[in-house]
Amino acid sequence: MKEGTRALHTIFNPDRIAVVGASDNPGKLGYHVMKSLTQGKYPGRIFPINPGRKEIFGLKAFPSLAQVSEKIDLAIVVLPAEMVPQTIQECEARTIPGMVLITAGFKEIEDRRGKMLQEEIQTLAERAGIRIIGPNTFGVVNLHYPVNASFTPEFSSIEKGTVSLVSQSGGMSHLLGFLFIEERIGASKIVGLGNRCNVDFSEMVEYLMDDPTTRVIALYLEGIDEPRSLIEAARQGRGRKPILAYKAGRSMTSDKASLFHTGSLAGKHEIYEGAFRQAAILSVGSSEELLDSAKALSLCPLPKGNRVAVLSGQAGPGMVCCDVCEAGGFTIPPFSQEIQKKVDRLLPPLAIRTNPVDMGPAWYDAETTKGIVEAVLRDPEIDALVICVMFASANRAAAGVLSEFLRENRTEKAIVACFSAPHGIWDLEIKALEQGGIPNYPTPERAARSLTNLLRYRKLMEKGD
Amino acid sequence: MEMREKFSTAPQGQERMLSYEEGKKLLEQAGILVAPFVVARDVASATEAGRTIGFPIVMKILSPDIVHKSDVGGVVTGLRDEGEVSQAFHRMMAQVRGKRPDARIDGVIIEKMIEGVEVAVGVTRDPQFGPVLMFGLGGIFIEVLKDISFRLIPIDPQDAEEMIEEVKGYPLIKGYRGRQGDLKSLRDLLLKVSNFITHHPEITEMDLNPVITSPSGSVVADIRIRISG
Repeated sequence: MKEGTRALHTIFNPDRIAVVGASDNPGKLGYHVMKSLTQGKYPGRIFPINPGRKEIFGLKAFPSLAQVSEKIDLAIVVLPAEMVPQTIQECEARTIPGMVLITAGFKEIEDRRGKMLQEEIQTLAERAGIRIIGPNTFGVVNLHYPVNASFTPEFSSIEKGTVSLVSQSGGMSHLLGFLFIEERIGASKIVGLGNRCNVDFSEMVEYLMDDPTTRVIALYLEGIDEPRSLIEAARQGRGRKPILAYKAGRSMTSDKASLFHTGSLAGKHEIYEGAFRQAAILSVGSSEELLDSAKALSLCPLPKGNRVAVLSGQAGPGMVCCDVCEAGGFTIPPFSQEIQKKVDRLLPPLAIRTNPVDMGPAWYDAETTKGIVEAVLRDPEIDALVICVMFASANRAAAGVLSEFLRENRTEKAIVACFSAPHGIWDLEIKALEQGGIPNYPTPERAARSLTNLLRYRKLMEKGD
Repeated sequence: MEMREKFSTAPQGQERMLSYEEGKKLLEQAGILVAPFVVARDVASATEAGRTIGFPIVMKILSPDIVHKSDVGGVVTGLRDEGEVSQAFHRMMAQVRGKRPDARIDGVIIEKMIEGVEVAVGVTRDPQFGPVLMFGLGGIFIEVLKDISFRLIPIDPQDAEEMIEEVKGYPLIKGYRGRQGDLKSLRDLLLKVSNFITHHPEITEMDLNPVITSPSGSVVADIRIRISG
């Protein structure tokens, strides 16, 4: 493990944490950090640092870092900005390798002093060899340890999984974190990079590439100082783990006016798009797409080719899927003869029996639906499937039967699903489906788009082979 | 590519545009095909040049002070005989002097008119990304539709291929209504430009626009290169 990577590993897996600025006053961030750690079932030891308290959250408090005799792995700092330089020196004295610097009021503020203060802490941290996440971050979360080193205790209720999110914005981290919960997507790590004092996207990508619990890396970026280092890190890791990026600032144009046509055309966003493609980073255009595609990449094999079968319990959702799939580079070919015969036997002639299949006439008959899926799954001329089933009282059994069948008959084909029902009806069936490696989405468009992104990613990976 | 020595210079800390001739020489050293041209100082040598090169020809104003020639009436295409060349010469001088009385005018460039699809290749140095390569279809595709693709320099052969395929106007390069471009020579051109820029950090911006691509190859028909000292 490289030295920088080791420090990051310690930040995500600390045995002992000091909370500098811990508080039992809910009006202070130091309170919420304590709550995150304790409620989040952090298994290590916590040392609240606060000169005015003997005890915080039932734990012995210390007046300063110097009074803690044990070795500390991580300092979470929630002090006012002007006290941070002093704190870094205290961390140096105790050889603390990592810091989560939640404090705001540095480079991001208009006042010039913020920028100067950040430069000061950068120099101090450099000298002390301390890796700092932040400043101006909500924190970091490792669902596997677990450690919730943030001021948002609710992040602890994200399911444990394999998607790691690195975000430049705290607001977007929260939004995406809540989407993780809502969509029941499993996360490994969630990181807010904030002002990126000395840990930037490139270091984080390098670390996550080696992190055994991360299978997919999702990035939210606004604009970074050294984009080439991120591109380089992604290139180094190419083929090991998928990286997705949602880059804000589409409308921003280059601020550099130029006499040259081409120079003035170089909008930053377009350059990012080109650079992402060079590094096999899958670029997406919304929060939803970022997580939908991350989920698909974490659960599903990549399609071997671009031939998709669209099987829908009702005609409409199937048509919608066809639109999205075709626009995304899939073809919707006829089934091979033998398979078509099987489908014909299962469905009455009034249904659309060729690809896309309208399984409508069999919608109340889960076993027939299963038979169609089973036949198509065996078609060697099909690489991927989209399966849509909208709930109706009469087809209640469909999700359970299909979910069980699909779990027990996993193939190398990429399968995405849109099983849709009001909350509380198919929740367990959908969960089982996803545990079986088939991502489910609330709309057919999102299911289909996630599949097209799997195809895009496969094409990115083909480069250089 | 053996071109490590500085070919042209600008005063320390300043930028300057290379002349058309300097630019052409430089590109040719890098193995990049530039449309043949003759510099004509007066109307007599312009008509003479037309005869030598063979009609139809393109006439462009030659001035170190004018970057966007067509904005000031400094480009005329499709001149078919000596009469047209002579007329165009006088009209161009009048128009350019009218619009840019301050500009130094060294004459005109007489260039063979090439049929094909117009594309553009550009290089810019982004403060964060460093050298970036741009590709697009010429004219309204770039200026109005912003139909362009970018890659960080250096690029590899697959990047070159993708840059071309990525633009929406790609079907026009592949061939439409009797006109088509040449993909292989375009890919080569992109790779050569990338390599060229890697070896020439003094080039701050470059605009090869238009590049005319046709089944017989891809030829640079206009050049703007800016260097810094």
